[in-house]
Amino acid sequence: MKKVDCMTHKNIWIVAEHHQDIIQPVTKQLITKANQIKADKKVTVILFQTKEQKLEQQLLNYGPDEIITVCDDRLKEAPDSLIADLLSQLNHKFQPNSILFGATVIGRSISARLQAKLLTGLTADCLDLKFEENLLIQIKPSYGDNIMCEIVCPNNYPQMATVRPNVFMATEIQNKEAKIVIINDMNFIEDKRITVYEEIPLLSKSDSIANADRVIALGRGMSGKEHINKASRLATKLGAKIGVTRPLTDLPSFSVDDQIGQSGSSIAPKLLITLGVHGAVQFTTGITKSKYIVAINNNPKAPIFDIADYGFVGDAKSFVEALLKLIQ
Amino acid sequence: MSVMLKEHQQMLHQMVVEFSRKEIKPLDMLIDKQKGYPKALWDKIVETGFLGLIVPKSFGGADFDPIAEAQTIFDIASNNASVAFTLEGHYKTVDQLKKYGKETLKNKYLPQANKRIFGFGSTEPQGGSNVMGHTASAVKEGDYWILNGNKTMITNGGLAEVYLVLLKTSENELTCFLVDKDMPGFKYGKQEDFFGMRGTPVGEIFLENVKVTEDYMVGKIGDGIRIGDNAHYDARINMGAIAAGICQHALDIVLDYATERKALNKPIIDLFSIQNKITEIAIAKENTQLLYEEAAKLKSQDKPYDKVSTMAKSYGSRAAFSACDHALQVLGGYGYSNEYPVEHLLRDARALQIAEGSLEKMVIEISKSVQSERV
Amino acid sequence: MSLNIVVCVKQVPVSNNLKIDPITKNMMRSSEPGIMNPFDQNAVEAALKLKERFDAKVTLLSMGPKNFEITLRQGLAMGADDAILLSSRGFGGADTLATGYVLSQAIKAIQNVNLVFFGRQSIDADTGQVGPIVAELLDWPQVTYISQIHPIDEKSIEAVRLMEHMQQSIKVKLPAVFTVRSELNVPRYPSPRSIMLSYQKEIKVWDEHSFELDLNRIGIQGSPTVVRKVWNPTKVDKETELLGEDPERAARKLLHVLRARDII
Repeated sequence: MKKVDCMTHKNIWIVAEHHQDIIQPVTKQLITKANQIKADKKVTVILFQTKEQKLEQQLLNYGPDEIITVCDDRLKEAPDSLIADLLSQLNHKFQPNSILFGATVIGRSISARLQAKLLTGLTADCLDLKFEENLLIQIKPSYGDNIMCEIVCPNNYPQMATVRPNVFMATEIQNKEAKIVIINDMNFIEDKRITVYEEIPLLSKSDSIANADRVIALGRGMSGKEHINKASRLATKLGAKIGVTRPLTDLPSFSVDDQIGQSGSSIAPKLLITLGVHGAVQFTTGITKSKYIVAINNNPKAPIFDIADYGFVGDAKSFVEALLKLIQ
Repeated sequence: MSVMLKEHQQMLHQMVVEFSRKEIKPLDMLIDKQKGYPKALWDKIVETGFLGLIVPKSFGGADFDPIAEAQTIFDIASNNASVAFTLEGHYKTVDQLKKYGKETLKNKYLPQANKRIFGFGSTEPQGGSNVMGHTASAVKEGDYWILNGNKTMITNGGLAEVYLVLLKTSENELTCFLVDKDMPGFKYGKQEDFFGMRGTPVGEIFLENVKVTEDYMVGKIGDGIRIGDNAHYDARINMGAIAAGICQHALDIVLDYATERKALNKPIIDLFSIQNKITEIAIAKENTQLLYEEAAKLKSQDKPYDKVSTMAKSYGSRAAFSACDHALQVLGGYGYSNEYPVEHLLRDARALQIAEGSLEKMVIEISKSVQSERV
Repeated sequence: MSLNIVVCVKQVPVSNNLKIDPITKNMMRSSEPGIMNPFDQNAVEAALKLKERFDAKVTLLSMGPKNFEITLRQGLAMGADDAILLSSRGFGGADTLATGYVLSQAIKAIQNVNLVFFGRQSIDADTGQVGPIVAELLDWPQVTYISQIHPIDEKSIEAVRLMEHMQQSIKVKLPAVFTVRSELNVPRYPSPRSIMLSYQKEIKVWDEHSFELDLNRIGIQGSPTVVRKVWNPTKVDKETELLGEDPERAARKLLHVLRARDII
């Protein structure tokens, strides 16, 4: 069925993610983006919640056309396969055009399972989305080169994609026509083989660079032990979090969770200071939403300077030492 | 590198390089300053299976050949010479047990070589090279041999638990025996406090009426000198590898430093005087590597390798010392400082002109070897 | 009843600068030297730990070109018992769905498998999709992003799933599919003996005729997604204000500017 001619499949679905009764930023960001690109389609949020949760209002603030809600206490601590199965039932009933998820642990785990259930395509970590008629164009960078790709799923519905947090921006908007549809007749297939028996919230969320207002990014030029110590001191003084480029995730003090960029977090701080970062596209795709970028590198030709507001061409360690002396 | 590594040797090489870089290199200076290996590091070395490198497969070892063995020593020595020196002392001892031990002894002790460190006891307080001046003895009493004496300057002495020792069985005869620290009458003696290679324990052992059966004789009566010589030739391949590894380490430090350090706004690596020293260090490493690799190749082909391995140590020990001296000069004040790694490299390198046969002994042996080739 | 474990592993390029085939627009895998995907190393280590405890068999499985053999060798050298490489032109150009289909069919062909491990994602493609796809196609429960494993016995396992905001404790009955995080363990170095022995093991190579496969679901024809266009993004050239050559003066100037703009 050629997508251009299709008169059905007019809904863009966003599967809402929430934690401790708070809708996650990536869901809000996806609603905003979907509204921007929908043209003649509808933006629908799929909300799974327990009977006592009332999370619709948080979603309505971002202006979707519709919220399809499933309220059931069996959704508490539900395994991935249950959610995927419920989505499959909903898909069968409503035949959406596209289903979008945040590229989070839960988003990736459920979307991929659903993809296999529906035997359709799923593109992970899209940097942009747009429509040509009914065809969802999924844009992401290629694996290493300075190349962007357009990916499409021409012969299957639904078209599925995941997007990392902070790739898009969320904007509050009113939609007076918004409808809430409550579904009561879902078939809950209990899988006795798997039980989630405990959930413990982690306090470390506040350490995440994705939400930090000030970030210091370390690249190869700042990977020595002394350099890292000095940068840490600067970060403490500035109230900044430290992120790294990919090569530094191999060092004992860092992990893949500290990585900024295509394979790491997208960040949107007010202030980003990059130290010894070259500015390859795998890194810069993660920082484009930063308000002010200060780049320090001893190579004047480093591409980081193409996107920096302020630049210092010289030794990063000396610059950090100079800054440390001035901030008391 | 002049040898073509086979696939499994290549994989071993990759593993050793990664292990050395991640686990050993960060502890290089600490090992020197603390005069010993952190327990966690040594446990990891044993757990990863380095001790069993040349133990035959049937005895639970890895069964790698002399080429892979030398390559491993080089890769480790490029990050810390002491660890390499400890392994060298272990391998050379295991090698003699493999070559000369009776089946019953090998069955008992080769599997243990995968987990317990071995050492070779030859030197005595009154002399090293002059083995016939030794007094430690083995006397037959019925079915047993009674062993008495002390051996000093043993590489790994104090850490090693199993020793091959050369004992006088008569006025003109040296015989090799295996002793185990758990035997009654075995005692550890003094530990040396050396200028360099400070991670490698060097110490003495005492044997007081240690009683062993005939099985514990390695080789036949009177084979002691031959076994001692063979131990030297085997050791010297790896000593060459250690020398080359020290050169490589020096080269890495110098290149890092000279590209960062500036004089008159340009990195000092642009200066001819520095490039000169870099060249000397690089050639020292290359030459030494060619020599020990050639010796390893000959050994793996069952051809005579004594002359070439002795040359590898003779040449390599001097080349490494000179290379480290150059490196120290390049780093200048930092080179002379205890806070930078160059000065301990120089101290480590100096040991190579003494251990496993002094430079002077090398001269005698090589010139004898060369003369005998003319006949 | 002992454990029969499969670990799906992938070779990734050492550097991240890859070449793209201009016609198929897929990654040209054979052009770069490779290493085992780091998260897959965690997966192999997890399997080996279970092997030590339960006398399990560990089989490595990989889909890729012939040069993926080196990665399978590395896994054998770590201590895995067997290795199977799924290699054929017909498998090429597969997206995650086609890849997951081929792997799941191979797992069925191995028979009596009761646990499949994946690394959480590969450091090149980064999708993290294939594990859940295989779980769905096998109709097995999945536990993803595992940071702790506590086996109860050979039939059920407790695992901790580490997510961004919380961790879940999950009890699962085998057979199941696990994807693991690097927090789970430190992969062991292959011992010299393992390395030597691994070269005496044969790596089996299967193509699309070696096991049951619907040929319409493999390779390019089995991939619902298609790369339809690639291009070089135009560079956004911002006007960068340079802070000068002297670090002290530059630092002073920066602080002045940031204060003026109320950033700090």
